[in-house]
Order: sequence, then structure tokens, then C-alpha cells
Amino acid sequence: MASKIVCCRCEDVTLADLEHSVARGYRDIEEVKRYTGFGTGPCQGKECLAVVAAALAKINGLDPSTIGPFTSRPPLAPTPIKILARDPAAHRFADDSGDDQGDG
Amino acid sequence: MAKRLPCSDAQRGAAVDLRFEGHAVRGFAGESVASALFASGSRVLSRSLKYHRPRTFFCMEGHCGGCLVRADGVPNIRSCVTPCAPGTEIEGQNAYPSPELDLFGAVDFLFPRGMDHHTLMTGSSILNNLASKVVRQLSGLGKLPSHVATDLPPVRSMKIDVAVIGGGPAGLAAATAAAKGGAQTILIDDQLRLGGSMLADPRFGVAIADGNVRAALNAGVTAFTNSTAIAYFPEDDGGLLAIATPDGLVRLQAKRWVWATGGYSTNLLFHDNDRPGVLAARGVGRLLVQHAVLAGERVCVIVGPGIGEYADALAGALRAAGAEVTLVPHDDVERARGRSWVTAVECASRRRVDCDVVAVAALPAPASEGPRQQGCQTVLDPQRGGFRVVVDRDGHTSAPGVLACGDVCGYIGPGGAAKDGARVGQMAAEEAREVP
Repeated sequence: MASKIVCCRCEDVTLADLEHSVARGYRDIEEVKRYTGFGTGPCQGKECLAVVAAALAKINGLDPSTIGPFTSRPPLAPTPIKILARDPAAHRFADDSGDDQGDG
Repeated sequence: MAKRLPCSDAQRGAAVDLRFEGHAVRGFAGESVASALFASGSRVLSRSLKYHRPRTFFCMEGHCGGCLVRADGVPNIRSCVTPCAPGTEIEGQNAYPSPELDLFGAVDFLFPRGMDHHTLMTGSSILNNLASKVVRQLSGLGKLPSHVATDLPPVRSMKIDVAVIGGGPAGLAAATAAAKGGAQTILIDDQLRLGGSMLADPRFGVAIADGNVRAALNAGVTAFTNSTAIAYFPEDDGGLLAIATPDGLVRLQAKRWVWATGGYSTNLLFHDNDRPGVLAARGVGRLLVQHAVLAGERVCVIVGPGIGEYADALAGALRAAGAEVTLVPHDDVERARGRSWVTAVECASRRRVDCDVVAVAALPAPASEGPRQQGCQTVLDPQRGGFRVVVDRDGHTSAPGVLACGDVCGYIGPGGAAKDGARVGQMAAEEAREVP
């Protein structure tokens, strides 16, 4: 194993990746998320968001309180899709009401 | 080596036989698959999706994504929140031929300084297409399930006075107080067993946690365990919280919401901090306190700022259970050593601590993404663990009808969280009474 300082274990994002992202001009937490992929794995940032935000404050020389979190999106935890299958709301944008037989 | 400690049958439950990568593993009905795998000496469970670095246990609480396995043909199962069931066939994933010895791990050596996939082989379109094909084969998380899900669980709707999310010290106290205040109260917790951080803290433990659970149930609280609040939909029925339970989806409406989700275990930064055998201190604590499993014979506890009391308590309990424990401040730590499992921690002070488990004690990061979906304001406060929910003295957040208590508002620890919860739960019940 080559030596790395890992900030986001799910997506293999290292401290060096954060510095590289900032050096390329992607400094904001949402930009860094999109560039490096941190916080987009199975944990959705539970383990890494606070760590990365604090690291970015340091790299950018900003006061931590000026850094916001990235947008929180559902689902908040890994969820089997079958859990949602029988919820009518899950089919509201489908014109086949969840029935695959039609042409919808 | 991990070791099971003597404990009562009531705590552990009946013996259950599982299989991991073709080998028999002894588990117990009252524990998670991860606990059984850890106690049996299983090490690497999968590989990471980019560099194929070994991945395995870290938080032991369903929050980090480290212990994903394939269970009975279903990929990406969090083994630490999956109960042991007889005959379960557990496999590693993202590795060839096995998680322990994965050929694709070579990627990690080929890119010792990391790789920027945005600029990888973008010079020629032919090379780029080829690289994309290879990368798609190498990356990703698990393979599709072996069979189609046929048992589609039902969907239920519920309307109650007070919904408390999180069944740790703050949530149990809040739910108890709300129910005693006359509110119809539901408590939602994602773990296999109620108690939250008390089940990972030797100063509290199973007996105290169980006492708090009994108090809540006696007060009339309805509890959902192994159930997660997965989303808040403000546009549906005046706002509803979706709860994924083992029996299907619950669409929950409440007059008052109380977030008591506590904090997530985080890692500290040092070289190879993702080495297998480097666990969150609370994961080591949970193995010891909840599952009566001693994580290692020689434990190195790396202590970050603001969490010294917990680290000392854990070290004391590990020593009492027979382990040799060394505490090292985080700012002295340079790197973890070892291949498929940690063997030592190297320090800037030229000290080398030989160990078979590392316990990283860091301030837990407030679990504030649920409150954020409800519109609660948060602020990044590294001294309190991360993005804490901003509350007034009575636990009101910036979102109407939404309260919060305990570590989700910034780390205070189990004792303080319970006091906070009792106060905020009572407030929620009083306010729910005013809502038609």
C-alpha cells in the first residue's frame, strides 16, 4: 500500500487531492465535492464532511464558521430500493403508475 | 487478535453459524454480523473503489461504509447493522481473487501520489475511451444482486404528536419526557439495540442503557429499532419524514420533531489512517461494551482534541479486560504501519507503538444532515465536532416545529446529552399540545 492520508474513505479522497483541487481553483465545499467526489460514497459524508470542511478552512485560510455544509440529499442512509417500491409517491412522475407493461 | 470476553448469555443471545468467504463463523443472535466477523478474526472485507485499498470495520455503527459485504447474494450490506441470522452466506466484494489478496490493489502502487481522474488519459480520444472502459470495470461498488427482490414490503402512514429521531442518551430522555408530558411519542433508532453512545462508553454500558430504554417504554414510547429516517419531504402532506424500517417504509407526520441523532465517528488525519485495524475509538468501545469483544491485545489509542475523558475511560476498560494500552496524542502521530492489518503506529517523537488495533478517538461529527433537510441552520464548529445544529436555550432550531438536543448540537457527551434531552422532550410535548 502506498502511503496516503485519507480524508474520505468511501471515495479514496486524500488530503493531497483536496490541496490539488484548491490549487486548480475549486475551493468551495460544493466545488471540491464535485471535483474530488468526497462525500458521494455509501456514507454520504457522515465520516468525512466535518473532516474535509475543517481541512478546507485550513487550506483556504478561512474561519471555519464561514464554511457551510454541502446540500443534504435523500436517502440519508443506504436504502434498498424495494422499500420505496409500493409507495404511490415514488411513482408520481411515472405515467404508468409503477406498471411496466405499458409504454411509459 | 480479537477475543470474546465472558458475559451473560442474555447479552449475547443464542449461538448462530454464518459463513464468510466459505469459512464457518460463529456469531450470536444478539449481535451484528460485523461483530461476529471481527470476533472470529476476519480482517479485510472489501476494497475501495478507486485505489482498491483494503476496507473493513471502522465505526461499527452503520455510518462509515467501511464494513460493506455481500450477504446472501445482496451487495453493499452494512454488516455492523445487520443482525446475525443462521446460515447467512457472507462474501467480500470489489476484489479479485479475494479482499485480502486483491490483484487490483496494484492501482494503489501505480499511483503513489494519487491520480486526478479528470486529466487521466485525456490526450487522445482513443486512449480516453479505452481508459474509460478499464476504469468502469475496476471501479464501482459490488455486483448486482443474485436474485430479484420479490417480497416488496408494505408502506404505512402514521401521525403522532412527537417524533424523536435517535435512540441514544439524548433521544431516550427526550422521548421519555415527551411521553410523560402526555404526547403520543415515537422513537426512531438505526442501531440493532437502543442506547446509542452509552453502548460504546464503559462509564455507562448496557445496564444503564437498558434502564433508560425501560423508562421510555414504560412511559408509553413506541420505539422503532434498526430503522432509519432516510428523508424529509416538505411538500408531501404538510411535511413528512420517511422511515425505512425492517418491515417497510413508514410515512411519518408529527406535530413536533426532536432530532437527537448524536454524532458520527470520524477519523483523524495521518499517513495510512485507513489501514485495516484502525478503528474509531467508539467502534472499539462498542465491541467491548455492547458485544463483550476485546478488539485487540495491544491497543494504541490516538487521542484528538476535546475527547480525552472518553479516551481515558476506554483505555481503562480495555486494560481491565486484559489489553495492553498506549495513549498517543494525535499531533505526535505520523503514520500507521502494517499491510492487511495494522502492526504499529509511528510517532514524530521517534516513538514506535507496536499494536494489533488502533482506536482513533476524535470528536464525533454532529449527525445534522436530517435537520439540514428540514431547514435547520448549522455552523461548522471544529471544537464541537463539526456542523452542529444551532439551537436556542430550549432546543429550538431555526426551523419552525423542529427541536434538537444532545451531541447533534455539538459534542457534550452522554451525561450532558441525557439532561439536555429531558428538557427538550418536555418542551416538545408542551408545544405539541397547542397544535390542533
